[in-house]
Amino acid sequence: MTAYIVSFVLGIAFGFALNKAGLTKYHKIVNVFRFTDMAVLKFMMTALVVSMSGLYALRGLGLVTFPAPPATYVVGNLVGGLIFGVGMAMAGFCPGTAAAGAGDGKLDYLIPGVLGFLTGAAIYGLTYQQVQPAIMAIANYGNVVIPDLWNLSPFLTVLTFALMALLLFYLIDRAGWQRKSSDQ
Amino acid sequence: MKAIWNYIRKEEWSPYIAGILLGVVGILAVWINNSLLGASGAFENLVGIIGKAIAPDLFNNMYFNFVMPAEITTNVILLVGIFFGSMIAAITSGTLKFRVNDSEQWKKVYGPQLWKRWLLLFVGGIILEYASGIAGGCTSGLAISGGMLLDPAAFLFIAGMFASGIVTAKLIYGKRY
Repeated sequence: MTAYIVSFVLGIAFGFALNKAGLTKYHKIVNVFRFTDMAVLKFMMTALVVSMSGLYALRGLGLVTFPAPPATYVVGNLVGGLIFGVGMAMAGFCPGTAAAGAGDGKLDYLIPGVLGFLTGAAIYGLTYQQVQPAIMAIANYGNVVIPDLWNLSPFLTVLTFALMALLLFYLIDRAGWQRKSSDQ
Repeated sequence: MKAIWNYIRKEEWSPYIAGILLGVVGILAVWINNSLLGASGAFENLVGIIGKAIAPDLFNNMYFNFVMPAEITTNVILLVGIFFGSMIAAITSGTLKFRVNDSEQWKKVYGPQLWKRWLLLFVGGIILEYASGIAGGCTSGLAISGGMLLDPAAFLFIAGMFASGIVTAKLIYGKRY
């Protein structure tokens, strides 16, 4: 029961953040792929740096053990991402932001959007046996994280990631990676 | 205090501030619940419940019985939370309102016809959900949740998503890209 209450409260905060970051809007998402508004990328990278630092610090202190990370099976992760990007650039939402968009009153997210996700989920679940085991059999490394897989210092890996994020923010804000656009 | 409240009420926050909030949520999910955030999985649980009610034989398979069981999981609750969290955020900024297609940029690219918008969101939903299944998660469950643990799968997924997202946007926008 506690897990359900915690999930609900965390979901509220998650949806709140998605909304305030503008992710319930078509243009905020699609314009990342056009390099004309990189806010969503900044949002994602900031979240990653914060949570990564916190979690590896807590793990280092022995306060948490990580849940099993999503499995790495190179071809499936990559091909899934490639198909996902097509849908995201086309529709301008993803499963989480669709729920958030429905929450701020977008009936197009709530009705055809949610029906689409449910339909996709049904097709996937009904074809799972024919598709997924074959894909997951290729280059499968199991449930691993990079520092353990490559025997790297977690501290240095997180630090490197954070510095890369800062460099990215610099390139976006100061070095002109974000292009001007007239249609926003 | 007043300044903080005024900031909360802004329609759009700095992506860095909103990102910190999401990062803290990600930490708490692991710390308190020993779980990861996710969204696409919830639709699989939900369709399992619906499917078993309408066509019990068809949906009586390994996937809906064991892999993504047809029940109200914490992920479903999280998804409902996302819905209400965004609603609360919209109330604070005074932007909560029923609408059927409010994107001016969308209308410029695809035209103003409502059926087109609704059809493309439906088809987009199918593509996104199926792709999430193959990849092992979506932007929340794989890119964010995996990324924060430094999971190679997350970075493979993000790389694929950006590569095809850029190409797709270029194709759709053509000269206007």
